[in-house]
Amino acid sequence: MSTITEIAVEKFLEHTDSEAASFFEACVNCGQCAEACHFHLATGDPRQTPIYKLRPMQRAYQRDKAPFSSLKKMLGLAPNPVTEAELKEWEPLVYDSCNMCGRCTLACPMGIDIAGTISKMREGYAAAGLVPEGLKSAAEYVKKTSSPMGVTIKALKAQISHQEKATGIKIEVDKKGADYMCTFSSMEIMGYPEVLGAYAKLFKRAGLSWTISSVAYEATNVGVQIGSAPMAKEILERVVDAAEALEVKYVISPECGHAYGAIRWAGPNLMGRQFKFEVVHIIEVLDKLRREGKIPAGKKDSRRMTLHDPCQIIRRGGLLREPRKLLDESCEDFVEMKSAGIANFCCGGGGGVSANPRANELKTKAFSLKVEQLNGVENLEAVVVPCGNCRAVFEDGLDEYEMDLEVLGLSELIADTLEEDDQKQG
Amino acid sequence: MSFLQIVEGPLFIFAAAVFVLGALWRLIGIIRIGRKKDISPPKASAAAGFIRGNLRHFIPRGIFAKRTMVHIVGGYGFHLGLFALIFFGAYHIDFLNERILGVSWPAMPRWAFLMVSGVAFSGLIMLWVRRISDPVMRLISSKDDHIGSWLTFLVMLSGCFALEQAHDSLRATHMLLVDIWLVYFPFSRLMHGFTFVLSRGNSGATYGRKGIDL
Amino acid sequence: MQNQFHSLRNFLRLSVLMLMLAAFAAPVAAQSVRPPGNAVNLDDGIEEGPSNALGDLSDTEIWDNFRGGNPRDIFAPAPEGQVMTTTGQQWRMIREKFIRKYLGWAPLIVIGLLAVFYFAKGPMKISAGRSGKTIPRFTLSARVAHWFMAAVFIILGLSGMIILLGRVVIAPYFGLEFNSVLTSAAMQGHNLFGPVFIFALIWLFIKFIRGNFFQWVDLKWISKLGGFFGGHVSSGQFNFGEKSWFWMVIIVGSVISVTGVIMLFPGLVDDIRWLQLSTILHALGAVGLIAVAFGHIYVGTIGMEGSLDSMLKGEVDENWAKEHHDLWYEEMTGKSASETKAPEETP
Repeated sequence: MSTITEIAVEKFLEHTDSEAASFFEACVNCGQCAEACHFHLATGDPRQTPIYKLRPMQRAYQRDKAPFSSLKKMLGLAPNPVTEAELKEWEPLVYDSCNMCGRCTLACPMGIDIAGTISKMREGYAAAGLVPEGLKSAAEYVKKTSSPMGVTIKALKAQISHQEKATGIKIEVDKKGADYMCTFSSMEIMGYPEVLGAYAKLFKRAGLSWTISSVAYEATNVGVQIGSAPMAKEILERVVDAAEALEVKYVISPECGHAYGAIRWAGPNLMGRQFKFEVVHIIEVLDKLRREGKIPAGKKDSRRMTLHDPCQIIRRGGLLREPRKLLDESCEDFVEMKSAGIANFCCGGGGGVSANPRANELKTKAFSLKVEQLNGVENLEAVVVPCGNCRAVFEDGLDEYEMDLEVLGLSELIADTLEEDDQKQG
Repeated sequence: MSFLQIVEGPLFIFAAAVFVLGALWRLIGIIRIGRKKDISPPKASAAAGFIRGNLRHFIPRGIFAKRTMVHIVGGYGFHLGLFALIFFGAYHIDFLNERILGVSWPAMPRWAFLMVSGVAFSGLIMLWVRRISDPVMRLISSKDDHIGSWLTFLVMLSGCFALEQAHDSLRATHMLLVDIWLVYFPFSRLMHGFTFVLSRGNSGATYGRKGIDL
Repeated sequence: MQNQFHSLRNFLRLSVLMLMLAAFAAPVAAQSVRPPGNAVNLDDGIEEGPSNALGDLSDTEIWDNFRGGNPRDIFAPAPEGQVMTTTGQQWRMIREKFIRKYLGWAPLIVIGLLAVFYFAKGPMKISAGRSGKTIPRFTLSARVAHWFMAAVFIILGLSGMIILLGRVVIAPYFGLEFNSVLTSAAMQGHNLFGPVFIFALIWLFIKFIRGNFFQWVDLKWISKLGGFFGGHVSSGQFNFGEKSWFWMVIIVGSVISVTGVIMLFPGLVDDIRWLQLSTILHALGAVGLIAVAFGHIYVGTIGMEGSLDSMLKGEVDENWAKEHHDLWYEEMTGKSASETKAPEETP
C-alpha cells in the first residue's frame, strides 16, 4: 500500500509531459504571473502567485524526472522530496485558489500555461484522495444522477414541459436522427430554464432538427474539475454514447465554460478516439445561424450592457469575436468593460471553485475585481454572462457587493431580440 | 602556460564543451519526455501557434505592464543590452573571430558599448533588487536565481574592469568567470535562455490548435 | 630669440628623457602589462637627441622655464601661453597633503562612533513589541529605486575609494603592481557606472521627493536629538534625519554627478582649473556621502528593530510606525498613534 505522497508524486511525474517539463524548466521566478492573478490582486498574498501553486509538482519533477536529476541527486544537489504535510498545505492553493482561467499565461514572459498544468497537478491530488469536500460531494451526485447538482431526468422533463407551455414549441427528447443534440449545465436547467425555451425558439426559426438526450443532458464534467481522468472519462462516455446512439451530427456544448473544453478539447483524448459527431459551442452555432441569415436580429434591446468573458470560452476557447458580433447586432448600447476580451478577469468561480464551499470567502474577494470593472462602466444596466457557472457567481457576487445589475444569458438575449415572424413577412 | 592562457585556452574549451553538450542534453532530455498526441480535431495549426506563441510573448501586454514597469524596463534593458555586449562588443568579436568562428563583423563604437553596458547593468540590478524587495519574488526565488544573477553580474563586472586591456590578470579574471558561468549554465535556471522557446512554443501550440488568437 | 631657443632645446631634452623611460619600462611591462589601448604613441620618429642633450641648465631652471611667472610663487596665476600652470601644484598639494592623508578616515570615524553607540546603548527596540499587524510604507517601485541606488552607490564607492586611496592604503602593503591592476579595474568600473548613478539619482528623487520637504515638526526632532538618546519624537512619513539624508544625497549627488561628467569628458571645459576643482569636490562629496551612508545603513539595519522591513517587504509593523512616525501613522490609518496605551484611562 503506497502512501498518499507516493501516489501523488507518481501521478505528478506521470503527468509531467514534455510540455509541463518545458514550463517547469523555463520559469525564472519573475513573479509576473502574480500581477495577472485575481486571487493575488484581491488578497495581496504572495502565496497566491500562480507559479507558486505548482511548487510540489515542479519539485517532484526536478527531483526525479528532469535532465541531470540523477546527477544532482548523487551530488546532494537535488531538491528535497515532496512531503505529505506540504501536499496538504498546497491543497487549498490547488483547488480553491485557481480557476484555471489562464490569465497568468498572458503575463508570463515564458508563456507558461499554468492553468493547464494545474489541471495536471490535480490528477495527482485526485488520485491521492486529497480533494476538497465540496467537489467530493459533487462527484457523489454525478455518480448517482450524472449531474453535480443532482438534477434528475424527472426534473429536466418538468422544466421542459414548463418551457413548452411558455413558448408553445414542442421540445423533443431522444429524437433519433436529429442533427443536433443539446446539452446543458445543471445550473441552467435548475436556475435559468428559460434557456431551453430560447433554444426551442431559435432552432425552430432556423429550421434546425435537434433533440435532448434523456440520459446525457448534463454537460458539466466534475471529473475535469477535480482532475480525475477516469471520472472525467466516465462522465463523458455517457454523452458520447448517447450522441452516437441517437446518430446526431453535432453535439452542442452549452453556455458553460469548462464543459466546452472538457468535451471539445479534452474529450477525444480522454476517450482515446475521435467522435462520430462534431462538437460545437452554442455561441458558434448562433453565430453561424446569424451569418446565414437564419436567425435575423429584430428590435434591439435598449439597455446599456456589457459582456463578461468566461475564461474557458473566450481566452481558452477562442470564441472572442462571435459573442461580440452577436451582441452588437442585438443591443443598442453594448459597451466593453476595462480589460475586456482575451485578458478579462475570471468571475472567480471557475475550475470547480464555486462547487467548493470552503473557497467561498476567497471567491467573493476575487469578485471585487469584477465589481471594480463593472463599476468602471457608467450607467450600466445589464451584463451578459454566457456561462451558467459564471452567471451564478455573478448573482451571488452582485448580491454580496449590493449592486443592482441584471445578469443575462446570451442565448436568451438572442432569442428575445429575434426578428418577429410577421416582421419578416411584412 | 600562463594563467591567462589556461583560462582562455584549455579551460575555456572545456567550459564551452560543457555548455554546449550540457545544454543540448537538457533540451533533448525535455523533449524526449514526450507527450500524448492530441487527437481532438484541431481548429487551426499547432505549428503556427508554436511560432506565434514565441513571437507574441516577446511583447508585454499593456494591462500588465503598468503594474510592473520596473520589471519590464529592467528585463528588456538587461537582456537586449547583454545580447549587444556579447555579440557586438569589439573585444568579444575579436575573441570569437580568432578562436571559434573565424569570421568577423562590425562592432559597436566605444561610446555605444559604454551606453549599452550602463543599460545592461542597470537592468540586471533592477531585476535583482526587485527580487529582494518584492514579497512575491522573495517567496518564490530560490538560491539558483540568486547565484545565476550574481554570476552573470560578476562576469559583466569583470568584463568592464578589464576594458582598459592593460592587465592580463584582469582579462584572466573575466575569462575565469566566463568559464564558470558557461559550466554553471546548463545545470541551472540560466537555461531559460534556451528553454523559453519550448515553453512559449508549447503553450502557443496548445492555444494555436484551438484557434485562439493570443 | 634666446628664450625660444631654450624652449626648443628643453623640449628635445624632455622627449629623450621620456623615450629612455619608455625603453626601460618596456621589458618590465611586457611581462604582464601592456600600455593602455588609448595611450599616446611614443614612437614619434625621434631616435636620438643632440649630444649635449642635458645642456647647460640645471633641473630647476628647466622646470622654471616651463612654468613661467615667478617660479617661487605657486599661487600666482599662469601667464598666457605658458606650458605649465601653477594651479597644478596647488591641486597636487591639496590632493596629497589633505585628501589622501585625512579624508579616508572620515568613514572609519563614523563606523567607530556607531560601534560605540551600539555597544553603549544597543539597538533601538520597538518598545511595545511587534503588533503583528503591518501597514504599507514603501511601494515596490520606490523600493526598487532605493536598492538600485544602493547597488550603484556601493560599486561606485568601492571603486572610487580604490582610485583615491589605493596608492596610500593598498600599494604599500600589496605592492605597486597589484595596486595598478586594481586601480585600472576600478577606474573602468567607475567610469562605466558613473552615468548609471545619474539615472539612479533622478529616479530616487522622483520616487522620494514626496514627504521629504522640511516641516515645523522637524525642529522638535532636532531639539530632542532625534530620540537617539531617549525621549519620544514626533515625525511624519520621514523624520528630520531622513529628510536631511535625502537632500544630502540629492544635492551632493548632483555635485558628484556634474563633476564626474566633467572628468569623464574633459573636453567639456576649457580651463584645467575646472578639472582640478572637479576632482577635489568629487572626492570631498563622495567621501562625505559614504561616511553618512554608514549611519543610514546602521539605522536601517541593526540599529533599529523593524526598519529593514520597510525596504525589503514594503511594510512596517504598526507599533514601529506609531513609535517612529506617529504623525504618518495617524495619517495612514486615521487612528491615534497613542490610543493603545490609553484604554486604562477611560473611566
